[in-house]
Amino acid sequence: MKIHNKTRLSTVKKLNWSLIITTVTLIIIGLINLYSISHRTHSTTTHLFYLQMIWVALGITVFFCISFINYHFFTRAAYFLYGLNLTFLIMVYFFGSVFGGSKRWLDLGLFNYQPSETLKIILIFILARVLSAKRSWQSMSIKELIRPLLFICIPVFFIMYQPDLGTALIILIITSSIVIFAKVNKNILLYSLLLILCISPVAWNFGLKEYQKNRILTFISPGRDPRGTGYNTIQSKIAIGSGQFLGKGFQKGTQSQLEFLPERHTDFIFSVLSEEHGFIGSIITILLFLFLIIIGFHTAFQSKDKVGVFLCVGMSFYIFWHMFINIGMTMGLLPVVGIPLPLLSYGGSGLLSTMVALGVISSVSYRRYLF
Amino acid sequence: MRETLSRMEEELQEIIQRWKWVSWILVAAGLILGSRLWYLQIIHGENLRKYSEINRLKETKIQAPRGLIFDRNNNILVDNLLGLELTITPQYINDLKKTAKKISSIIQIAPQHIIEKVQLGEKKHGPFRPVVIKKHLSLNEVARLKLLQWDYTGVDIQEAIIRHYPLKENGAHLFGYLSEIAKDQISEFNRKYGNRFHFQPGDLIGQSGLESVWEYELRGEDGFSFVEVDVHNRKSISNIAGLWSFKPKEPIPGRNLTLTIDKNLQEKTYSSFFRNDKMGSRYGSAIVMKKNGEILAWVSYPSYDPNIFSIGLSTSSWMKLAHNPTKPLRNRPIQDHYPPGSIFKPIVALAALQEEVITTDTLIESPKELVFGRRTYHDYRKTGHGSINLTTAIERSANVFFYKLGINLSIDTIAKYARFFNLGEKTNIKMEGEVTGFIPDSKWKIKHLGEAWQPGENLVHAIGQGFILVTPLQMAVVYNTIATSGEIVQPFIVKKITDINNQEIKTFQPKVVKNIKKQVSAQHFETIRKALKQVVHGREGTAKWWKVKGIEIAGKTGTAQVISLSKENIHEKCKKRPLEQRHHGWFVAMAPADNPEITVSVLTEHSCSGASGSAPIVRDIIHSYFENKKSIQHTSASNKDR
Repeated sequence: MKIHNKTRLSTVKKLNWSLIITTVTLIIIGLINLYSISHRTHSTTTHLFYLQMIWVALGITVFFCISFINYHFFTRAAYFLYGLNLTFLIMVYFFGSVFGGSKRWLDLGLFNYQPSETLKIILIFILARVLSAKRSWQSMSIKELIRPLLFICIPVFFIMYQPDLGTALIILIITSSIVIFAKVNKNILLYSLLLILCISPVAWNFGLKEYQKNRILTFISPGRDPRGTGYNTIQSKIAIGSGQFLGKGFQKGTQSQLEFLPERHTDFIFSVLSEEHGFIGSIITILLFLFLIIIGFHTAFQSKDKVGVFLCVGMSFYIFWHMFINIGMTMGLLPVVGIPLPLLSYGGSGLLSTMVALGVISSVSYRRYLF
Repeated sequence: MRETLSRMEEELQEIIQRWKWVSWILVAAGLILGSRLWYLQIIHGENLRKYSEINRLKETKIQAPRGLIFDRNNNILVDNLLGLELTITPQYINDLKKTAKKISSIIQIAPQHIIEKVQLGEKKHGPFRPVVIKKHLSLNEVARLKLLQWDYTGVDIQEAIIRHYPLKENGAHLFGYLSEIAKDQISEFNRKYGNRFHFQPGDLIGQSGLESVWEYELRGEDGFSFVEVDVHNRKSISNIAGLWSFKPKEPIPGRNLTLTIDKNLQEKTYSSFFRNDKMGSRYGSAIVMKKNGEILAWVSYPSYDPNIFSIGLSTSSWMKLAHNPTKPLRNRPIQDHYPPGSIFKPIVALAALQEEVITTDTLIESPKELVFGRRTYHDYRKTGHGSINLTTAIERSANVFFYKLGINLSIDTIAKYARFFNLGEKTNIKMEGEVTGFIPDSKWKIKHLGEAWQPGENLVHAIGQGFILVTPLQMAVVYNTIATSGEIVQPFIVKKITDINNQEIKTFQPKVVKNIKKQVSAQHFETIRKALKQVVHGREGTAKWWKVKGIEIAGKTGTAQVISLSKENIHEKCKKRPLEQRHHGWFVAMAPADNPEITVSVLTEHSCSGASGSAPIVRDIIHSYFENKKSIQHTSASNKDR
């Protein structure tokens, strides 16, 4: 392998600045957007903006800390973290607080902790460790697949049991993306696809709760219950569409400001952006996300070892799928699932997880010079 | 080394391949999201923008003022006032129960009632729209409510248009009143007036009189504006995005009516029903009509104050009004019909003259009673009249004279002449609820009662009793026809319709609906007019006590029996009978007698006789009319001098 002679580069120069600038830009867009909807006259949500500022400060700190930590530390600690997280998940089953019909949170006094969120990141550590152990880039056989699949399926089972179908699904999507990236025998892919098709009707009848079925039906035809389950999608589409090319302007989005748009601080934050800043603002934001993800993949291909590759690919997929599913949902392309938009949605754990993911990419990028 | 190189090469190939895949996925994702964004914001943007505006902009009505009503001299008769009303806006209420209780102590409406009103309003129109709790607040109430506003949010005092009738009880039947449209009226009105108006619950409409008949002209076209609301239908504090392409509409005031009514005479006519004599105030109706059909005054008494409807009438007050035994809601000049009694005699006389049964010189024996068949028919005068001619018979209202004419003419001829005067038909004045009255004939009796016409019945019908029914307005038209020697005019009340800029929209000209000069000769009319003059000015005229200085009056008294009287009680004093059995009194007159300008038709219910019940009222009306005229001439003359 080629030996780089850049070890003498300063710390500042070794940081991946395009990653940092893109991230900060998106964070700023998110803050402007959050300010817009939390600072109306007589608003009761102004504190959300300041809380988010604290989370951003924390997140940036975490990002830089991780950047300077050798990423092998995470893969080495993966089993331990995984075990710890699984324990939390099981604790949720016993001590979790119920909200909206499902048990997802552990009440830690200061804030509520959702173990399924951290699990997404930790599963990526696990997969990076397991998959990088493979010697070649050859397709994996069933035998090789069993270990990673077991790691994935055990926590997913608990999460589905909460029930939190959305999180379970996105974990499956992210992890299978990584596994497929690691290359799987084509036949296996084909058979598993067939298997999913066969299982889904059974799952529909026995596995899904009524509200989950409703969400999927509503996605297929949003007009069937415009005041109920279809309401969110319809109002979100109105918000986005009514923004038109240039948008209605900062703090002038009527759908968001007058609260026609539900969950506007969290899951539907993108609709606020689209309404107030139009096609221009939205497409720029989407392009920034894509750029961020490309940086992530690019870092993967520059990585000096396989662990780095899988970590970066995993984290990139993590951001990509969150972004794609969330935006797709707000535009009525995908059913409504409670998945936040990375860096833009209000919420501490979401922001911190994203910053950890980006921090790991940054760490890999930082160490591509260290030989 | 070669092995490592080939492995590196292989690895590189794998990596390039994955790069490709990932790039494709990213490009595809970008395209999917981008094109969806384009689809929503560019292709459907305008449409979805409209939906977002519909979400936030709620129409609010701006009430248009109704048209005003003026008299013939441009005096105001029906007006709009700026009033103050109490509203509660549900969205700002903290404690509805407490607020209702507090307000209740000021405006005297039960707290439960206030709560119900507010809750209903919120359910119907959303919490942003103020709910009217009380229309028309007194100044005292306003002052006390203003103090409340600090402690009770959502309580407001708003300006409102209040329909005002300065004449109050006077003319209530003429002008009518406004009240909220009833549920079953909404579709009916929208069908009728849908081209200009859209009626909704809560709208005020004219419910009777001119207000109702001329709804289409008087009603203004409501305007509308918008308020911005949030998802909970609460009014937004700062309007975020203006009005976009939605445009508010300015209200257009209703059209004004100029009536033929003379306010001064209307007031005098009304007040002439209050009398200081033994009988006191009369119940009944009065019509004053000009020769060309213009109505100068229209009174129905007892009356009600239409202003109480404008400020919202409680159900109990309404029930009281509707079930009042004196029937203040009835528009008596056209909605009630009565037997004409002796005021019918001129028609019988005209028939007799035209059919050449008698001439002006024919003398007929008129004793105190006439035995016909097995019955005796009485005259009111116990001594009888002796042998008299037609003029004397009318002057004294001698019954036997007319019994004999009745025997000779038969009912069908009498009916024929009565119908020449359009009796038994509506006058088609533009007022709701007019009745036709009734003129019987032999065919009708056989068909509807299954009995042949009895010759004896000719006698009672010749003096205006029996089945004959007429309205006071019809009799005004009949006597006006005598005055004009055969021109039957169309009575009318509205002279002119003008819009808000005083531009004429429509003017109504006097109209002769029928001319009976060919059927009845002018010379006979002349005879009757002379005889009618004798009623007031003759030595034995039935209304000789009621002259007006300087003005000659021609008229006829009439007494309409409410119950048929037996032989025993025919001379019994009318005033001793219970009220509802007393006769109605008529007096219909024209003045000046030789060249009449106006006809006055007055009916007083249960006043026992036309001479004492109605004639004094007519006298006062005619007196006022000419006084009025004199003063106008006087002022115009003095104006000329200057």
